[in-house]
Amino acid sequence: MELIEAVGISKRYGGIVALSRADFRADAGEVHALLGENGAGKSTFIQILAGIIRPNGGTLHLAGRAYQPANARAAEAAGIAAVFQELSLVPDLTVAENIWFRREPLSPIGTVRKRREREATLALFDRYRIPAPAPTREVRRLTLAERQIVEIAKALSRDPSVIILDEATSALPPRETEWLLQLSQDLAAEGKLVIYISHRLAEIRQIAQRVTIFRNGATVATHDTAAVDDETIIADMLGRRMDRLYPPRIATATDRTALKLRGLSVGDRLADIDLDLKEGEVMGVAGLQGHGQRELFQALFGVSRSRGAIEVWGKPVAIRSPRDALVGRDGIALVPEDRRSHGLLLSKSVRENLTLSVVPRFTRFGFLSRSRERALVDEQLRTLQIKAGTPDQLAGTLSGGNQQKVIFGKMLLTQSRILLLYDPTRGIDVGTKGEIFRLMRDLAAKGYAILFYSSDLPEIVNVADRVAVLRNGKLAAILSGDDISEHRILREAMVEARAA
Amino acid sequence: MNALLARHRAVLLAYLGMIVLLLLTSFVSQGFLSGSHLRTMAVLSAFIGIVALGQTFVIIGGGIDLSVPWVLNCAAVLVTLMANGADGPLIYAIPIALAGGALVGALNGFGIALFGVPPIIMTLAVNVILQGGILIYTGGAPTASAPPLIQFLAVGRIGPLPVVVLIWAALAVAATLLLSRTAFGRYLYAQGTSATVAEFSGVPTLRITVLAYTLSGFTAAAAGILLTGYTAQAYLGMGDPYLFTSIAAVAIGGASILGGSGSYIGTIAGALVLTILTGLLPALNLSNGALLVVYGVVILVTVSLASDAVSDFFAVMTRSFGRRDNAQS
Repeated sequence: MELIEAVGISKRYGGIVALSRADFRADAGEVHALLGENGAGKSTFIQILAGIIRPNGGTLHLAGRAYQPANARAAEAAGIAAVFQELSLVPDLTVAENIWFRREPLSPIGTVRKRREREATLALFDRYRIPAPAPTREVRRLTLAERQIVEIAKALSRDPSVIILDEATSALPPRETEWLLQLSQDLAAEGKLVIYISHRLAEIRQIAQRVTIFRNGATVATHDTAAVDDETIIADMLGRRMDRLYPPRIATATDRTALKLRGLSVGDRLADIDLDLKEGEVMGVAGLQGHGQRELFQALFGVSRSRGAIEVWGKPVAIRSPRDALVGRDGIALVPEDRRSHGLLLSKSVRENLTLSVVPRFTRFGFLSRSRERALVDEQLRTLQIKAGTPDQLAGTLSGGNQQKVIFGKMLLTQSRILLLYDPTRGIDVGTKGEIFRLMRDLAAKGYAILFYSSDLPEIVNVADRVAVLRNGKLAAILSGDDISEHRILREAMVEARAA
Repeated sequence: MNALLARHRAVLLAYLGMIVLLLLTSFVSQGFLSGSHLRTMAVLSAFIGIVALGQTFVIIGGGIDLSVPWVLNCAAVLVTLMANGADGPLIYAIPIALAGGALVGALNGFGIALFGVPPIIMTLAVNVILQGGILIYTGGAPTASAPPLIQFLAVGRIGPLPVVVLIWAALAVAATLLLSRTAFGRYLYAQGTSATVAEFSGVPTLRITVLAYTLSGFTAAAAGILLTGYTAQAYLGMGDPYLFTSIAAVAIGGASILGGSGSYIGTIAGALVLTILTGLLPALNLSNGALLVVYGVVILVTVSLASDAVSDFFAVMTRSFGRRDNAQS
């Protein structure tokens, strides 16, 4: 008897089938990976486990007994804790207050015992060696990575027997990722079940004993991780689509400089960056989290104030707002880090999102031309293969990969030939990742200049023509050709150069 | 068809509510559905509707305009003082008053978009400043009576239709076109949905905010001028009821008070509902105080019925009973 036994679980939303036949068996004492493309039904399945939604069919057993949680609280009471991709912390509360939210230690007169709360938090951090921020810090001041860690701490505070981690490492820098991988193994060793969702095969190989693969709402296979190769896993995920993840790297860079930076600085976070991005080039930007990558991208898009000189296609420019960046063919477009709060109007249609930056292109005498807008939208839906029922579907109802494609489409419509891509594949399935990399190479071949940051280092290694490595806000090295390797990049990012 | 219904459900609800209310009132109060009474209600709705026009734009854009009462009041006082009972000076008095209203609106917009003053504080402060200014200017005395032309605009008729209702209709067409067919409208909805995403998409957020508040100042001033014609003279405090009603009309019309959604068609229904309510309540023979209490409660209930929060609540309820789910994953 296994700890969790799910057989034939199905879930429909109106006419849309999210899960058709999900089977899942996992045992106490293991790290069990759950893999699948976005839209394969992983999220739906774990939401069922966490009691957030109820299935339409199938049977679910927890420790041999029928398990039908009425809501999330019931699932927590049964010992299942989930850490979702969408974080659920209250920004105005502190770390400790968030962790014990609605479970605060109370005094006899009903006030919160702050000190005990803080002590309990520290004990929790200590027990799991959590690299968490101070318990008294406000969550609104934390980085995405720190919030993710607080979220994990909150789940651990319930001392669950099953812990579900959904893409938890996608927001974490390397050291914290290591901690989480170790923690997962430790929890399994303590006899707990860790259900681990990630698109990073290397992590899964490192910690998971078994991997279950979903495709199109159904379980395809469960493998022993040690006995299966990457190709089989990817083939299971993609079905018959067996494209290579990384497209061949054909050098298309010309001598023309698209973007020239001299002495670019942002506050004390980025200092004296000199960089030349060529037409037709994909340049990777690498570095440990918080070493200036974000500031560089923000400065080039006019979100952060910068000093120093920027030349675009040979002309000096001042970029003080995104409007200064998005100026048509000679402009700079950004695919932002946080697609849900910076990239998309979730409650508006795919059509309105796609054309938001190019409204003047289909405006005549002050009035919008629906037919011309429709033509622009159809073109993008086709070339990017965006899977939306109709252009009027709300952007928030699309899968992560399709949402990201909509943002790409929006930026491509601006016709800007310099593209800033900040972690464009974060939390996106393998199939769509491959499509995005191919798109990047196609655009480079057409003469676009691309600056590309990824939190997943192998992506930079395999896609970029050259890599600019940042360390402490300074340019540590520019690598090209055979010098581009994970090892070399990490060394440049972490180790101060020896005195020459 | 279903999608169309879903999208306009809030507006349809508002109109349905209006019809039910109208029938209800006609039972309670004899002669309620007579031509002359309906005409009066249309005129009263027009004043609310015109003030609420600018308010609709501001709220869709994610803001709120609390300065409408005294912008309205100032325009009314300015026009009557300048005209001094004669039609002749109106040729400059009306444009000056309208431009003044627009200017105050633009000031609101700049303060909010450029200097980051929260909309509530900015517009509330401007409202109080205008109130004080006009008190100083008039010494608190009642002003001259409205010239005949303005009285004609407010209470006159062309055929069976009151002039002010025709003006309202023309403004309604313009507002609807502006919201649904222009770049300005598109940007306004985007900005109200997420100012950050709009900014990152290159939407001219400063210009859009200033335009929305300018429009609100303009329509408040227009309503003020027309209202002097109805009451025959301008008096201090005449704009006060329109703060609440202009916001309530927008909310009843199905707009999210947080911005990003709504339509002027909906606001029109909101204005009509509010007017019918004021007509219905006196028929219940309540004291003045009780009347106000009931009025406030009814508006509260109506607005919450029309708002997303309640439909969300029902959606959650039906979902927890596992009947009908909305696609989301």
